[in-house]
Amino acid sequence: MTGVATVARRVSEGLPEHLGAVPEPGPDPEVRLRVTTLGFERAAHVLRRAGARLITMLLAEAPEPSLMAAFALRGALVVLRAPTDGADPVTYGALSQTWPAARWAEQELVERFGVRPVGFSPGRSLTAADADLIERSVHGLDVFAIPYGPVRSGVFEAIQFQVQTGGESVLSLQTRLGFKHRGLERRFAGLPPERAVHVAERVAGIASVAYASAFSQAVERALGIEPTLDAQRWRVLYAELERMAAHLDVIAKEAETAALHVGQARFQILKERVTRLRARLTGSRFARGVIVPGGVRLQGGIGLDELLRSLDALEGDLAADRRLFVGTASMTDRLVGAGRLSRALVEEYCAVGPVARGSGVATDARHERPYGDYRRLGLQVVTERAGDAMARIEVRFGELFESLRILRQCVDHLRGHEGELATPLPRDGTGAAFGWAEAPQGELVIWVQVRDGLVDRVHVASPSLRNWALFDHAFPADVLTDFAFIEHSFGLTPSGADR
Amino acid sequence: MSVAFVFAMSALMVAPLVAWALERAGALLALAGCVLLAVVGIDAALAGARPVLKLGTWLGFGSSDLRATGLAGLFLALTGLTGGATALAHAGSPAGRGQISLGAALLLCATVVIGADNGFLLLIAWEGLTVCVYLIANGDRRREELLAGYLTGGLAKLGGAALLAALGILYAHTHSFSLAAWAHADLSPGVRGVLSVLFLACFATKVGVLPLQGGLPSGYGAARRLGAAWLSVALCAGFYGLVRFEVQVLAPLPAWCGDMLLILGALTALAGIVYALTEDDLRRFLGYSTVEHSGIVLIGLGVAILGQSFRSTLLAAAGLLAATLHIGAHGLAKTLALITIDGVERASGERTIDPLGGLSRLSPAGALAGGVASLTLAAIPPLGGFVSEWFTFQALLQSFRMPSLLSQLLSALAGVALALTAGLGLLAFARFYSFTFLGPRRGRLGDLAPGARRSLGALLLAFVLLLLGAAAPWEIHLLGTGLQGVLGINLAATTISHPLVLTPVFTGFAVLDPTWLSVTLLTLCALAFAVARATRGRGLGASAVRREPVWVTGSGAELAAVQYRPSAYSNPMRVILRGPLGYRAMISPQPGGPAGDLRLETRVVLAVDRFLYRPAAASVRWAADRARAIQNGRLSAYLLYILAALLAAISLIPILR
Amino acid sequence: MLRWIARGLSGGRVTTRYPRGGEPVPDGFRGRVDVLDAVGAEAELESVCPTGAISVGSSGGVSLDRGRCILCGECVRAAPGRFAFQARYETATRTRAGLIVPERDGDGDPPRRALGEAAAALRRSIHVRHIDCGSDGCEEWEIQALWNPYYDIQRLGFFLTAYPRHADVLLVTGGVTRPMRRPLERTWQVMPEPKALVAVGTDACSGGLAGESELVAGGVDRVLPVDVYVPGSPPSPIAIMHGLLLAVGLLAAGARAT
Repeated sequence: MTGVATVARRVSEGLPEHLGAVPEPGPDPEVRLRVTTLGFERAAHVLRRAGARLITMLLAEAPEPSLMAAFALRGALVVLRAPTDGADPVTYGALSQTWPAARWAEQELVERFGVRPVGFSPGRSLTAADADLIERSVHGLDVFAIPYGPVRSGVFEAIQFQVQTGGESVLSLQTRLGFKHRGLERRFAGLPPERAVHVAERVAGIASVAYASAFSQAVERALGIEPTLDAQRWRVLYAELERMAAHLDVIAKEAETAALHVGQARFQILKERVTRLRARLTGSRFARGVIVPGGVRLQGGIGLDELLRSLDALEGDLAADRRLFVGTASMTDRLVGAGRLSRALVEEYCAVGPVARGSGVATDARHERPYGDYRRLGLQVVTERAGDAMARIEVRFGELFESLRILRQCVDHLRGHEGELATPLPRDGTGAAFGWAEAPQGELVIWVQVRDGLVDRVHVASPSLRNWALFDHAFPADVLTDFAFIEHSFGLTPSGADR
Repeated sequence: MSVAFVFAMSALMVAPLVAWALERAGALLALAGCVLLAVVGIDAALAGARPVLKLGTWLGFGSSDLRATGLAGLFLALTGLTGGATALAHAGSPAGRGQISLGAALLLCATVVIGADNGFLLLIAWEGLTVCVYLIANGDRRREELLAGYLTGGLAKLGGAALLAALGILYAHTHSFSLAAWAHADLSPGVRGVLSVLFLACFATKVGVLPLQGGLPSGYGAARRLGAAWLSVALCAGFYGLVRFEVQVLAPLPAWCGDMLLILGALTALAGIVYALTEDDLRRFLGYSTVEHSGIVLIGLGVAILGQSFRSTLLAAAGLLAATLHIGAHGLAKTLALITIDGVERASGERTIDPLGGLSRLSPAGALAGGVASLTLAAIPPLGGFVSEWFTFQALLQSFRMPSLLSQLLSALAGVALALTAGLGLLAFARFYSFTFLGPRRGRLGDLAPGARRSLGALLLAFVLLLLGAAAPWEIHLLGTGLQGVLGINLAATTISHPLVLTPVFTGFAVLDPTWLSVTLLTLCALAFAVARATRGRGLGASAVRREPVWVTGSGAELAAVQYRPSAYSNPMRVILRGPLGYRAMISPQPGGPAGDLRLETRVVLAVDRFLYRPAAASVRWAADRARAIQNGRLSAYLLYILAALLAAISLIPILR
Repeated sequence: MLRWIARGLSGGRVTTRYPRGGEPVPDGFRGRVDVLDAVGAEAELESVCPTGAISVGSSGGVSLDRGRCILCGECVRAAPGRFAFQARYETATRTRAGLIVPERDGDGDPPRRALGEAAAALRRSIHVRHIDCGSDGCEEWEIQALWNPYYDIQRLGFFLTAYPRHADVLLVTGGVTRPMRRPLERTWQVMPEPKALVAVGTDACSGGLAGESELVAGGVDRVLPVDVYVPGSPPSPIAIMHGLLLAVGLLAAGARAT
């Protein structure tokens, strides 16, 4: 607790003067600063020069209608808030002119809320996806465009990639999102937090625990309560199990793409074992319905000893399978050198998750702004330097073993404890705060406004949306056949990006 | 028969003049001459009458006749068939009186070349052929086409110079211009070798052998309308010259000549097809394809020469049979392809392959003709191209009968090269045919000339080609009697074993059955069709036929916008062979387009262009610049030149004495 | 490669014997919600459900629409005497009415064994094509799991195909979003007869939490005729397998419910 507060205080010292901003109260480790819409752009660029990472931009309504942007700076969450005074349309200097990371966030503000940033050049629509449109930006006798999607070859989610190719090499790639826009952010409004968490879980189903956890934290921060230690431990346990399932899924998909059928089967077996563990622990194969604002709801049950035994068996099998995977040259040949992302590119786009960690940028929400039980667990962030698909897969392997280590610690701490698991929420609480979690795809940040005990507005900054922006530039020297490997190594989910 | 021969020659002589006045009449006259020529040729080849047209001694240097011997008869028949088809195509869709006159003149010169038994007559006819080719290859007045014409003409002049030198050497040794006298002359192997190189250089410029092949692609590409088809008719004369001089007149050549032909043939074939893959212009593509097939013919001739030098008549027969079969199949198929391309250009106005597509719906006859030609050129069984390539392979496989290790090695390497060109040739012609005739319409071909007149000539040639494979035994019978004069044996005796079964001259080695293959394939197809008709409507859950659009991953995009372009289709080969091709792809910002748009440009640099033609052209220009100094317009200088010429002439008299 | 083969053989057999044998369900597994007591309820019970699956009739009769149920458990917590979770995998039905419990007259889902035999009748070659029309990603994981060694639906003769022209069964996940409407129709159009459509997941049955709005159509049956409904959030792989066998039974019988 105190450690985080000092960090936030250290960061906020001197910042307001540099930015010309007025500090506002907010729960640690948020550092809230108020600026004007005119000074918004300048403040953002000062933060960028100080090394901040842009997370998201949104239109909030607490305490008044304002334009907000959240940044991660040295362990603190810096929030710039510019009241709009009810102006319609909202205008400010566009950030994306010089900061590519802000592109898609601003595009969404323009399309969904009618904001008019000055100097913003509109790009591809993020909300009105058109499957029939073919855009040619590379001209030449050889060049033709392939619309790959939205109905893809295999069991995949709906997303379209427009590839312009001369027959082999990828000359240009455009990611077209928006095919799965269900408007879930609006669905939160008017629900009590215990019911709204169901909506949060269904934004991106394969990261249900992370979304529920981030949402619950935001509500708890907004209402000023803290779940019990045991509840926090259970949350970490579910989160790490989910991370393991997701990483095993990515590795199994890479093996499938390389036609390494036994490897694919082995990793699918491991993933199914983790999923069945979750089913026995919580009654749901995706651990849904167990994390609620205020704590956890314990359901189903296997003994902790049996859980520990299963984890040990899992670790032994995983180590053996990993040795074989990394030692199969025909598999690693397809991954080494594919989809190389330089560190500079990753930092410029403020990417998160294994995509960033594979290029040497050690960004991990569990480590930067520890939440829940991560504040007490010793976490090691796994990074690689190469920046190619193999590095991202190695990061995932490292995180798998790290997750197993954390799980063992959690089980040890939970053993013999029979403490309270749910903290009641204040009845008519009002507040607004950010909540975050490290989803398997990367850092997830959710902004929740609670008014009179009901959820009012929610904004989701999913890691998939932020990382998809980088995907278009992940093909500097690759051919069409490497596409699937690079896509799976990113491991993103369109439903989280489209919401 | 001699009457027919006389009529044919006179018709061909008059046709250019008539064509200048009345196009159609001239074309029909040329057609009549060609038909008669074909009849005469086939008859001569079948050991019938061997008509002789005496021209007396008006040319000087001995008496000159036009003789339809066995070998000449074969090539006269081929010229007649291909020339007749082209003339018929001309009659069907006139292309300007300049074209038809030049074409008829070209026919005349080619026929004289083939029929001449006097070297001087041959030289005159050859130069006439060169002039016709140069004029046809001049095309429109655009700069590239003028340059193409210069290249064709320049190389042809080079060939003419080589021919002159060779004739000079032969005259010096035998004091006669008669081909028969040359055939019986007693020349040392060194002289034979030199002569063979000179004759090869001459005829290489016409048939397109590396490194003198430049005239072919550029000439075909620059010629207007049916000019390219006429140029391919001229090939007959070139091939005739090769066979006549290398295999008959200069026999037996030393073994190294055969080796050289093998190497040259293999390299030519490979280079031809590899460059063909990079071409988007339809005619230039076919020009490079001609280069490839000339290489294959040269391989066959190489084996024939090796057989003669090793005194194995059967081996020589194997090689010569393969070469002549290929000359026949290729000549017919190439002419048909060029006539079809002319139809395509008339219908769509396009000369490159990229904007085309789906033309089979517009002109099914043209698609059929083009298909038969493409299948033959790509050596697909059971058509004629497959038969001739099979024979070439078999001739190369006889290398174990050669005593020299070097020859065996080179035969093996030539076989490898041949296999590679067969594969690449299939790729190239699949691209050529599919992107032109099949698939959806890609370009803005809204203003297609509907009902483009079906070319009767093309259809007739297609019919002949279709049966060429099945009629192979009869063709070999014809070739056997025709080549008897060259080889001394009738190879049909050992080649055609049981009726309709073919062996590569050596019995018991391998067997090919194109006739039965054609019959079986047709029967099986008909059977499958009949079964399908009979069981229609009685299958599982008899459902009506539904037509749905092509699946494009759920997108409703137009199929033509998301398919491979023809250039992209051959990209993988270009990337694999980027070393020899000098292939480079450059991405640059698109000029005049929205910011962020890029442009991809690919470039192929031909090795022969870079290392031979450009330096040669540069040195010629340098020499011309220097020589221009002579034309300084001063009277004193010209008087000096006259004095120098007089002194030279006077000094020659004692030398000649 | 030999080491991979040895590793693969070392694991032993993990494949389930379903549908020949049953698949054990873990205790507390939330497979579907049962109505225990269907009479005498107050109207406020309807507001308990976030998707509006519960409806209380004028006489107090309770009915639960499983096609809308996202298995959140709110109703079970609010009225444990009326609703309870059932630890059961199979949830598929052939009609939309069959998803509403308590059942009026039994839908008569054929027993498990008969389904297995019906699948065999198609000579073990059924090709499945999947299309995602706005799901949350879980159903895709569960459908992919059908081909992993635990469930191995290939032993029943089901194959995954990328090309709708080769497909017999179309699996649709997600309540249909607006941009995916035309691609869905195209995919269905291009499939040859006989074909069957299986709506996988509560989102596909009724639109789920996203419901019905200008962004989401509210279930696949608003766009195309559905043959088999497999509710669940998400339905487990066994449930999807059960649904596929139902669909194949329809194909084998040559009849399709409209």
